[in-house]
Parts: sequence; C-alpha cells; structure tokens
Amino acid sequence: MARLLRVKKVGVFGSLQDQGRFGYRNYGIPTSGPMDATSYQLGNEILQNDTNAVALEIFIGGFCFEALTTQSYVMTGAPAICLLNGEPIAMWVTFTLYAGDELTIKTVQQGSIVYLHTIGGFEAPLTLGSRSAYEKGNIGLPIMRGMVLTSQICRKIEPRRGIWGKALPNFSCKKVRIYPGVHYELFTTTSREALLTTSYQYTGGNRMGYYFSGEMLTLASPREILSESTQFGTIQVPTSGQPIILMADAQTVGGYPIIATVHEADLAIVAQLKTYESLQFEWVKE
Amino acid sequence: MKLNVDFPTYMYVNGHTLRFAFQEEVSQNNLALVRSFTMFLQTHYAPQIREIVPSYHTVTVFLQDTTLPVQQMPQYWVEWQGSQHNEKVQSITIPVCYDEEFALDMERIMTYTKLSYEAIIERHSKPVYDVFLMGFLPGFPYLGVLDERLHMPRLEVPRKHVVAGTVGIGGEQTGIYPIDSPGGWNIIGRTPIALFHPKRTPHFLIKPNQQVKLERITKKEYENLLRKEL
Repeated sequence: MARLLRVKKVGVFGSLQDQGRFGYRNYGIPTSGPMDATSYQLGNEILQNDTNAVALEIFIGGFCFEALTTQSYVMTGAPAICLLNGEPIAMWVTFTLYAGDELTIKTVQQGSIVYLHTIGGFEAPLTLGSRSAYEKGNIGLPIMRGMVLTSQICRKIEPRRGIWGKALPNFSCKKVRIYPGVHYELFTTTSREALLTTSYQYTGGNRMGYYFSGEMLTLASPREILSESTQFGTIQVPTSGQPIILMADAQTVGGYPIIATVHEADLAIVAQLKTYESLQFEWVKE
Repeated sequence: MKLNVDFPTYMYVNGHTLRFAFQEEVSQNNLALVRSFTMFLQTHYAPQIREIVPSYHTVTVFLQDTTLPVQQMPQYWVEWQGSQHNEKVQSITIPVCYDEEFALDMERIMTYTKLSYEAIIERHSKPVYDVFLMGFLPGFPYLGVLDERLHMPRLEVPRKHVVAGTVGIGGEQTGIYPIDSPGGWNIIGRTPIALFHPKRTPHFLIKPNQQVKLERITKKEYENLLRKEL
C-alpha cells in the first residue's frame, strides 16, 4: 500500500467512488457510483486503469492535498482552477506529484463536479461488492481533513497522456432527453406542455437529488401513489409541484408521481449543472 | 388463492429498465403475483438481468443489456403459473419495546384511533406481517397488512431525526428505521436489534421475501438486548 495524499483542506463535499454498487437495490441500497460517469470513465481510460477503479469525486472545489510520494494523476470533470504548488495545471492530462508537492482544486469555473484519478485507483473498503461511498447509509467515509488517500500502485507515467479539444466531453448543451414516466398521463395538459416547452432552474442538491424550480407540475386530480422503484434519472414531482431529479445516491423506491426519466447518456449533463443554471427537456427519439 | 393469469402491463422506464405492473393496489393477491413474477424472471432470464426491484404492484427489472424477449413472456408466464413453485417463506421475530420513552406518537395514535395504549400494542404486535417492499433506507421493510384500526396519516411535518430501530406507522403500513434518518411516520416503539450492518455479514436482518413477527418486550429486556447488540 502506498500513501499518496494527505488531505489538508476540504471543501463542499468529496467522496470516493467506483462504478457503483449493484445487486442490493431490492434491499434499499442505491447504486451510488459517479455522478458524471462520462468524466469518470475517461479519467480511468487516460490512466489505463481498470474501468471500476476508484476516483475521488469533488463538488465545487475547496480541496487541498499534500503529496506524500511520487505518483501520477489526472483530473477530469468540470473545468476548474487547479494549482500545483500555486501554479495553474491542466485537467484531462496526466501529471506527477512528488513528496511535498501541494495540489489545490480551487473552484469550478463551469459545471460542478471534478474527479481526481490516480494510477490503479484509490483504495477504499469493499462494502456490499463496491468501493463507492454512500454517505447516508454509513458506507465509506466522506473526505475529511487529515485523511490519507492510498493506492496499491505507485508509478510515474511517462510520457504524459490525456485528451484534448474535441475529445473532451461537452456539458454546455443544457438540454436532456427524457422518457415519459409512468405517471406522466396523470398530470394536467398544462403541466405536460410546460415540462417540454419551458425550462427548469437548478436550485441546489446533492448526490441524492437535484431540486428544480419552474412552471408548476400538477396532477389532474390529486391521488396517492404506491411506492415503487426509482433510480438515477427519475424525475419525481412532490406536492410542491417542483420537480426533483434523483441522482447517483437515489433512494431505491419512492412514492411521488414520476413524470419522466432522464436518458442514461444525459445524466452527466444534469450532474454537471451549476446552481441556478436552467435545463430543458425533450423526448427521446427512438 | 386464485391467481390472476393475465400478463402484467409493461413499459420501458429508460433504455435499460423494464417495468411490469399488476393492478395498482396493496393486496395479498398482488404480493403473491409480484413474488411469483419475480421468481419467474429470475428463473428464465437471469443472464439478462442485473437487478430486480419488486414493489406492491410492480416488478422493475434493471437489464444488463437493453432487451428482454417480452413478446414470448406471456406464454411462459401462463406455463409458470400452471406449475407449482413452493417458495419457502422464512419468518423472523423482531423484539419491540412499546414503552412511553420510545412511543413518541402514542398520544396522537390514541386520539386518532380512539384505542387504549394496551389495545394499540395488542393490535400492532399480533399479526404476522409480510415484507411487501424494501427500500427508502437500506434494509427498511414496508410491513403489511396493518390492522385497519391502526391506519394513521403521516405526520404533517416530518421529524428531522428519527433514531435507528424506531418502529413507525405510515398510512396502512408499519416499518422499522434501520438507520438514523429524517422521517414522517408515527412512532410507536423501538427495537434494540440492528437491521442493517454495513460492515458485517449478514448485512440485512430482514429479507424481501420474509414474514415478520413483532414481539413485545419490556424496557428491561430492551436494555439487556441492546447491551448484547453493542
């Protein structure tokens, strides 16, 4: 085991994530895993890691690390101001830290989530078949000051590897494809139209769900909904009439009407929304 | 029990998720159908399936790939229903202390149901409950069928913090909080037994296909059991 990084400063929220936890959904365990699977996968590809290697997922920024040994990394996700010993360094390209170096992930400029990947992935305890943290279920630890991140492999990558230009994922299009939800028909005509013709502003959220504000979505006649399976991408509408998109730590069942479900490939766009940005929905074209 | 042999309606939730639905109701008939259909899928289509989440009236299938041969299913489903499948339903007893210290909403329940403290405990601890659904929290069982007299609307303002082990009534169901969480169910008691262990096996005390019996215990017994758990 190699001791890689000591956490000197923590920001909004950071957690270790692999691809996710599968097989326990019927016990109420969410899949967890990366919020922006696109950036997560690309990070592992750049480092030629296993597709399930553990990365550090960081919301917004505010993190600072002290390197304890020589090791190569790559940062992916939302464009952010990142500093190596006070000097800006590029994301999406590998870089090497030496003992004593200071890495700062200061703040995102667009989007909201940054990934720090290391060769071989970070170490994290295996719980119910996955190394992903699930804060609410007491699985894994949130990243705290003083914590030391470790890995099995310690190596320097030469020459540098990375992706550039058109190969970078683009989250600037704030339009996502949706499938009609099981309760879609129960909403008023006005609500159904509003969902597709108006935009919804992201007002805040976390790994469990993102909250939106916009035209009211209301059921044609109020009724109780029996709880059933929900997942990452489920758009549910509580009595407030304002939609919530369930995210990576989505609860496995819910009793709110489901108006739609976001296309799997567009979940990263939702995850990378910055607070107060607006989102538009369109039907999936078969 | 006569089983409905109609094939459930189905729809794609997204590219990798299929939702099968029976009639929208909470009933023993639905419970049997949902369990049988889940077993049917696990038996015939296991390689194509990543996970299955049964609920009161739906069976949601998370696929490895993007398709299941749905067209051929109704025929196999009829054959499946025609043959005998003896699924053994296991039973588990969970001790519950209904002492005033834990039964935070007992007065509310007494006022609403017009039943005495004793009568409420009697009616709550008497049935053998079925696990209709698991979710909301890791290892949280939705237990039914609850005695009709105990059906209670949820709290208007949910509590910010409900302690692990809390037994509550929400609508026509009762359940147990496996971990600390916000919650809006009427609190009637507490179990000293941990329902979810992230760090040791078995991780879950209650399983989706189980029956659950709640056994009334005294506060002294609660404390003794709690010491053993720690």
